Amino acid sequence: MSPADAHVIDLGDIRAADAPRVGPKMARLGQLAAGGWRVPDGYAVTARALDGWLPAGRRSELERLLAEPAPDPAAAARRSERARALVEAQPLPAWLADAVGAAHDRLRARTGLGASLRVAVRSSAVTEDGARASFAGQFGTYLGIGEPADVLHHIRKCWASGYTAGAVAYRRRNGLPPHAHDLAVGVMQLVDARSAGVTFTLDPVTGDRGRMVVEANWGFGESVVSGQVTPDHWVVERASGRILERRAGAKDAWSVFDPEAGRVVLRPLPAGLARTPCLSDDEVRYLCRKAAELEAAEGVPQDVEWAIARGAPFPGGVFIVQHRPETTWPAAEPAEPAAKAEPAAKAEPAAPAFDPVRYALRNVFKVPGR
Amino acid sequence: MRLGVPSTEHPRIVPVDDYVRDELYPGYKQAFGSQPFVAGPVRPFGKADNSRYWLRDSLHFSEGMVPASIALLDDAQTWGAQLGAEIVGVPPTRGSVNRLAGTHVYIGTIDVDTEWQVQARAARFAEYVTPILADFDRYWGMRAAELQSAYDHFDALDLTAMDPGQLWATVKDAYAFHRRAWFIHFEVMYVLTANYLAFYGLAEEIGLEGSLVSAFLSGRQTFYSKTDEELWRLAARARELQVTGPLLHEPPASVRTKIEALPGGRTWWHEFGEFLRTYGQRTEETCRIDTPPWIEDPSPALYAIGSFLTRPAGFDFHAARQQAIAERDAQIDAARRSLSGSDLERFDQALASNQAANFAWWNEEHNYLIDRRAAIPVRRASLELGARLTDEGRLSQPEDIFFLFKPELYAVMEDAAGWPELAAMIPDRRAYFEEWRHRGPELPTMLGTIPDTVPDPIMIEVFGLSGHFLRTLKGTGQAAELRGFPAAKGVAEGVARVITSVTEISRVQPGEILVCGGTTTEWTPVFGIIKACVCDTGGSLTHAAIVSREYGIPCVVGTATATQAIKTGDRVRVDGRQGTVQVFASEG
Repeated sequence: MSPADAHVIDLGDIRAADAPRVGPKMARLGQLAAGGWRVPDGYAVTARALDGWLPAGRRSELERLLAEPAPDPAAAARRSERARALVEAQPLPAWLADAVGAAHDRLRARTGLGASLRVAVRSSAVTEDGARASFAGQFGTYLGIGEPADVLHHIRKCWASGYTAGAVAYRRRNGLPPHAHDLAVGVMQLVDARSAGVTFTLDPVTGDRGRMVVEANWGFGESVVSGQVTPDHWVVERASGRILERRAGAKDAWSVFDPEAGRVVLRPLPAGLARTPCLSDDEVRYLCRKAAELEAAEGVPQDVEWAIARGAPFPGGVFIVQHRPETTWPAAEPAEPAAKAEPAAKAEPAAPAFDPVRYALRNVFKVPGR
Repeated sequence: MRLGVPSTEHPRIVPVDDYVRDELYPGYKQAFGSQPFVAGPVRPFGKADNSRYWLRDSLHFSEGMVPASIALLDDAQTWGAQLGAEIVGVPPTRGSVNRLAGTHVYIGTIDVDTEWQVQARAARFAEYVTPILADFDRYWGMRAAELQSAYDHFDALDLTAMDPGQLWATVKDAYAFHRRAWFIHFEVMYVLTANYLAFYGLAEEIGLEGSLVSAFLSGRQTFYSKTDEELWRLAARARELQVTGPLLHEPPASVRTKIEALPGGRTWWHEFGEFLRTYGQRTEETCRIDTPPWIEDPSPALYAIGSFLTRPAGFDFHAARQQAIAERDAQIDAARRSLSGSDLERFDQALASNQAANFAWWNEEHNYLIDRRAAIPVRRASLELGARLTDEGRLSQPEDIFFLFKPELYAVMEDAAGWPELAAMIPDRRAYFEEWRHRGPELPTMLGTIPDTVPDPIMIEVFGLSGHFLRTLKGTGQAAELRGFPAAKGVAEGVARVITSVTEISRVQPGEILVCGGTTTEWTPVFGIIKACVCDTGGSLTHAAIVSREYGIPCVVGTATATQAIKTGDRVRVDGRQGTVQVFASEG
């Protein structure tokens, strides 16, 4: 195997054990695909490729830039800007560019979409989803990329996003090297989403394991994940699959692909759609069942990001885009599958919906992981 | 939570340099290491303090601290807060620290800045707080009983009959009790703050105004609302017994003689004495050993009764409370109508939890057991000791003992050798206190580096250190309209009276709009005669906010600069719903 092959890996070859190379996000997707789950196809560029990629001069320049803590936030922002520009401007070495090009050609062939294939280029920190080291959301994600040259450019942008002032400060606080040694990049087919969102296998606010929560919007899931809209919201009873609550969101915007910009962008949502729930009850229940299956396989509560492909017959169009352990409630025990639940369990009083101590720790004092 | 918005503003530094000293008072260097501080004892400012923010606490200590008060401050806002935060395990803060500018108190906080400590504290916080909130009445009942039994003990002592050994032991007991009382204070405060802030956070999350939360928790009778009710009753009794003349027109010192000369006077004074026995165990400020309790000097109570007599109709407490409760319930109903499903369920549970463990209520109620009373046994025993030392010729008057630091007193009581040197310093120290007492009103609200935001939610809600407050402090221009926290609704226009110390409170005329740094329990009676209240500091939980709602007058707190921007005599318009104060041209 050539070094290039070792650094650019097709999703079909990725397993859970590859997490240290491609990040837990991509490793879980690879494992899911191997287990027969419907996930978007793609490939990953390893964190080691980044580590070995920058020329020595650039590396030492970067290290000098980040050697000392910045004296103030403005200086930190300026340094971070310089570091990002430096990384973004550095072309990938030919061996890596070629390997990415080849992987992209293979993906075009596997999906049958050829040149019309659009992908998501996502940072995948090798520590990102760890319970403690999570600064998820700080790294770049770019949706709707088409051309291979554009893919290469956005891989550099993902790596550059490892030098935001927040990420640099985080690594310093935690005694990690100042350079972004920990970023892999995932390139995945962009599912042309009619609706998309997240399923939580417990109530994310109260930690109640008896309730699952679905949040979704029309279009790509970006508008939900980034918190730019108040999504539609469902609460489903785990044991019965009964929908306990449904709340229409203030969906004034959605994420759509803009062919002119060649990107996924946030646009005002047509008035007709804004008031219409973006999922049917059957879809909500199906999404909860699949999330519960995933949770059973993983052994801990999960939050599961999914997308429903436009025009695909239900449930064939439901893709799992990513999932990760729900770390807000670390003490939660794995739930028994509903079928095995003892009837006596129902007689127990329901956990209170509001626990002031937990709420204060999480939302007032903002203790990470609480 | 109103934790402020990220800002690119440059920090503004108000240098502490003018206040940097080696000594707390001339001739007194602190001996460190004798007390188990978590984060450091009371100190003078040092140059390094420029890197942090320091808020002037004129709310609790408006006139400055004599040397003996500094041990009490150490027990309270320094040691008590640090121990409370440590034992309860508050994740973001290790409690407060104090610095003195001259004799005036500034408060700062110490953030917990490592991730491990935050996590470790969060774990023990959950273990500590959960059972207390689950059964708060029993828990507070236990603490209140402990405090009350100590007061029963100290109040029953006949100090004048004690031999010197017994008296000195009593001084030490009183100090030990004072420290214990302040641990209880901060233990309970941190527990209740979490409950309150959780409700506040939930309210904002589900689309309600966070500022409504303290209104949802209002209307419960406190020891102080009972005190005010009694004062109004005594005013009515003075009318019945026809003894109003001296109360309206005599200086407090001669009121008693003049009243007792009237036919109904002895009866009234007897009833007043009965009142003081129950309600008079309160001083005007916290940790101020030099301030007498009402039972020793009833001037504040006599002033309150006198000002109430200017309102012939009296004040119908029952009607006011019924109205406050009806408004509170209407606000709760309106909030509940806007909610459904799990939001409503969570709201109801948060409300129930806060009604059972109610910070808005306790924040007033506890003062009669702690803030305004805990130092009284120390004061009494110290004055008796001071009187004996005066008789022995060591001091020239009993109050001189207030100008000795506690460690100095302890040392000299163990070994009588040092008296002449100590006594010689007292005149200078008196002069130093007086000099700084006069400088108090000119001291900056904040020293050191004024931050863009303060991460400690407790400082935001109790002291009002919101992003707006901090931005206003950084600004230099004075706007015609001040903005603050909308603390009690209603609109009022009138003439401003700017007051910087509770001792000046008798200048407030009925119908004026009170403008001050902040209010405490001692200010409560004045709310019966003012039209509106405006404060420099304060958030949703401050005294002025709570009491204004009870009295049904508009109130805006946390304006940062009201006492500087407004002059006595200015015409102002207070909008308690918008949180704005408009300043018009001076009337005279």
